[in-house]
Amino acid sequence: MSEKQNSRNKAGRKNIFVTMGGWIARIFMGASKSAVPNDRELTDEEIRRADVEEIVSPLRQIVRNFWERKYAVVALFLVFAMFLFVFIGPLFMPHYRDAYTEVLQKNIAPTFSMLSVPKELRDDVRSIDSFTSYSVGLSNAGKVYVWGSTKLGATGIDVADIPEEVQNANIKFAAAGADHIIAIGDDGKIYGWGAKNLGQYGRTDETRGFEAAILIPEDLLNNGVDVAHVKKLECGYQCTGILMDDGTLHLWGNLNACANMDRVITYAEAGAKFRDFTFTLNYIVTIREDGSDIYTGQRDLFNLVRSNVTGPAYKLKNYIGSRKIVSCVATSDNICYMLDDNSLCFSGDFAPYALVSVPGLASGEYFTSIRAGAHHYAGLTNQGHVYTWGDNQLGQCDAPKQSKMADAVNVYAGGFQTYAVNGENDITAKWGLRGYLFGTDNKGADIFQRIVNGGKMTMTVGAIAVIISTIIGIIVGCLSGYFGGKVDMVLMRITEIFAAIPFLPFAMILSAIMGRMPFSDNARIVIIMIILGVLSWTGLARLVRGQVLVARENEYVTAAKAMGVKESKIAFKHILPNVISVIIVTLTLDFAGCMLTESGLSYLGFGVPQPHPTWGNMLSGANNLTVMNNFWWQWVFTAIFLAITTICINIVGDALRDVMDPKSKIDR
Amino acid sequence: MLKYILKRIGYMLAVLLILSIIMFVIYNLVPSDRAYTDAKAEIIRYKNLPQEERDNKFEELYHEYQVLYGTDVDNKIVRYLRWVGLAPYSNGKLNGLLQGNFGYSYQYNKDVVDIIKDPMRNTMFINVFATLLALGITIPLGISCAVKRGKFGDKTMQVVTIIGYSLPTFLIAIVFIWFFCSLFKILPPSGMTTPGRPYADNYWRDLLDRMYYLILPLIVMTFCSLGGMTRYVRASMIEALSMDCIKTARAKGLREKVVVYSHAWRNALIPVVTLVVGWFLGIFSGSIVIEQMFAINGMGNLLYTSLRTQDYDVVMLMQMFYVLMSLLGNLIIDIIYGLVDPRVRVNK
Repeated sequence: MSEKQNSRNKAGRKNIFVTMGGWIARIFMGASKSAVPNDRELTDEEIRRADVEEIVSPLRQIVRNFWERKYAVVALFLVFAMFLFVFIGPLFMPHYRDAYTEVLQKNIAPTFSMLSVPKELRDDVRSIDSFTSYSVGLSNAGKVYVWGSTKLGATGIDVADIPEEVQNANIKFAAAGADHIIAIGDDGKIYGWGAKNLGQYGRTDETRGFEAAILIPEDLLNNGVDVAHVKKLECGYQCTGILMDDGTLHLWGNLNACANMDRVITYAEAGAKFRDFTFTLNYIVTIREDGSDIYTGQRDLFNLVRSNVTGPAYKLKNYIGSRKIVSCVATSDNICYMLDDNSLCFSGDFAPYALVSVPGLASGEYFTSIRAGAHHYAGLTNQGHVYTWGDNQLGQCDAPKQSKMADAVNVYAGGFQTYAVNGENDITAKWGLRGYLFGTDNKGADIFQRIVNGGKMTMTVGAIAVIISTIIGIIVGCLSGYFGGKVDMVLMRITEIFAAIPFLPFAMILSAIMGRMPFSDNARIVIIMIILGVLSWTGLARLVRGQVLVARENEYVTAAKAMGVKESKIAFKHILPNVISVIIVTLTLDFAGCMLTESGLSYLGFGVPQPHPTWGNMLSGANNLTVMNNFWWQWVFTAIFLAITTICINIVGDALRDVMDPKSKIDR
Repeated sequence: MLKYILKRIGYMLAVLLILSIIMFVIYNLVPSDRAYTDAKAEIIRYKNLPQEERDNKFEELYHEYQVLYGTDVDNKIVRYLRWVGLAPYSNGKLNGLLQGNFGYSYQYNKDVVDIIKDPMRNTMFINVFATLLALGITIPLGISCAVKRGKFGDKTMQVVTIIGYSLPTFLIAIVFIWFFCSLFKILPPSGMTTPGRPYADNYWRDLLDRMYYLILPLIVMTFCSLGGMTRYVRASMIEALSMDCIKTARAKGLREKVVVYSHAWRNALIPVVTLVVGWFLGIFSGSIVIEQMFAINGMGNLLYTSLRTQDYDVVMLMQMFYVLMSLLGNLIIDIIYGLVDPRVRVNK
């Protein structure tokens, strides 16, 4: 016996599913529904009969009618989902900041491939290096692998297109810069690919007269280096350095990206030898051959050191005393020096957000090697433990349990990732930034996080504006409709004044003028809510007035008057509930309207100021063919969220209006 | 009827007066002093003078400019009256809005009136097309939706129009630009003519060029207004179709076309006409977002750039213009309502 027949046959036995189905139906339909057979398979005849038989309260009738409109229910569900998404979502983003920018993560397409080391490389790692969003790995067989977000902005260059000659060569060293990769083959030949227009690699025909380019020395380009004696190859933002065993340093690249490079080159050409060097985002730092001091060519640059990422700073000379600096690694804006007594010290700035300190080590344990990413350090101790510290904004320091990488003999860090490698050259653990669900914007901020937080702002502004406008509209409409006469005249003239104000221009002017006054950003946001609210109540006031005019002629109002109920009480307690349906509909539609206006204002730059995200101002860069052609993710996702939300709210409002309007039932 | 119209005009003037006061107050909230800025700019010419003399000279210049701009009195009411042109300046002359002094643009170094001419022409040029196009599409569409109510086509249009009016203008514009300029590359993304106006000497070729650049803004404008207007026409048409006279007409055996277009549409026209009138006044004001996005030198874009460059005299005049337009619109709508629906007149 099918379930359908089962439920119809009320005298027959009910199985448990029907009973439970009935309970669920009651949650939505109410108990009175059970007087009618289960609604799923009703015939028209039965519906008609049921309509006659049962008596439903207006509210329940409204809910039931609404429930019949499947698209409206779906829309309502989506609106709720969106609400939860934007108001609960931020709780899961502890590191999110409105003003966050990251120059190394600009315009990255949606990807989760930043930790996806190619299979061939996983158990044969010779080195891994990274500077921004892609990583370059080198296997012991001399093969180069590139993974991550490899497309370079709008240039159309893909660093994953490894040149043929590099694929055929046996590569010994490989390093990644912001937009170029440099590799040295076993014959000493230096290869470079990626962007070349700013002096990263190649001759003048690549730079086309770019003046700040310091080209790779012709000798290196033609004859290569003595690969057996290369001590270190490192790439900076758009520059490269090769340090030889004898302390000779070769440097080239974009001088604008590495401000003191020319001075270091002059110094090196004068015969100076170096023990180590490293690039921060904007500078190069070298260590003198005897390890007693650093040389940057700029007075006092990176000259204050501290023993941990926070704490008091000392002059470098005084701090190290007779100790020597062995090596140095640098993140974007700070440097870690390793001293010959196996201690570390740091110089430079540390962003105060999400900062993780150097872990305390057990006695007898010390760091044997340190690597630096864009904002974090990874250290390997003599007992095979790997630690990460520094900036944890993008989860760089969320290392897995030590047991997973207890036998690490090598650690590689770069960009925002860290890889622990064991004695057999296998990657045992990798952690850090995997990528971005919706990509990043032109400031390097995660678009997904900004959509969530921007949605919160957009909805908050819309909701508060609509609450303000509703309150004003109800008060004015009720008073005007109920009292009539002079009150009505005055209030309606005021309404007319406000209605005559052209909305968008006026809001823009007010916002622009507020912008010139000394208000904080939060105050400006509040002011925008008020502007929107105060400018959009007129429609509701007129509607309420009209409804009240009708309602006050009813008998029960006369009765209330006869009983001596106070006039204001009649207006708000006896008449207002009768116009509540109009108010709810207008509220819903106005909510979408206010959200639209806010987005429009913010899009034009007169709404919520940057860097506070809203869906409107997140789209303001999108009207640009470069963005449209190359960075589609920067507007598509935001646009979809905004569109879905406003469309769904409008559908819900529309359905509500149809449902609450008693006339529409006759038409149906 | 005349009494009714006079009454409406009276209301309109009162509202205009109050709004101008509001505007003046807001305008005066901006912390800027034109006389001071001008005096500062002029005093540079006297930099050879000794300090004391220079200070005196500055005071003198400052006062001169204050007199010129009518800001030499602190009384805000007097200043307002001077701005409107009802109170004389210190030199005894009236020089306000009523006398045709609409202010001076610092950005362009011209009188505001001269600045507004070109944008106004452009805006009107575009909006006439946009409005005609939109009306030409929405009215038949709305009618056919109402007639075929509940059918598949109507339901589809309901979804399309709800999308149309739920999306912000700029989003629609972005999507269209992407579609036509990025995906298919058949239309220019912004601007009004080919850069440099190479066809300026050939009128028809030039017009063709301008039209080519106008296609995309026109499409966007039409699409944006499609949603609201179609729904409005549909709603009033449905209302009209449910009237008793329609039943009678059908019962008489009139052809369906005659019933719809002659009987129902006439009745549906009353609310539609008012909306259309409001629209035609929009021809002068232009769409801020669309003009800004497509770099059309129109009224909306002028307001946008003036706000950006803090050229407040222009903003002020634009604002008064917008207010006047919207008040005129209300007035005309009221009058038309009164003409077509005598109950309104009686009621007031």
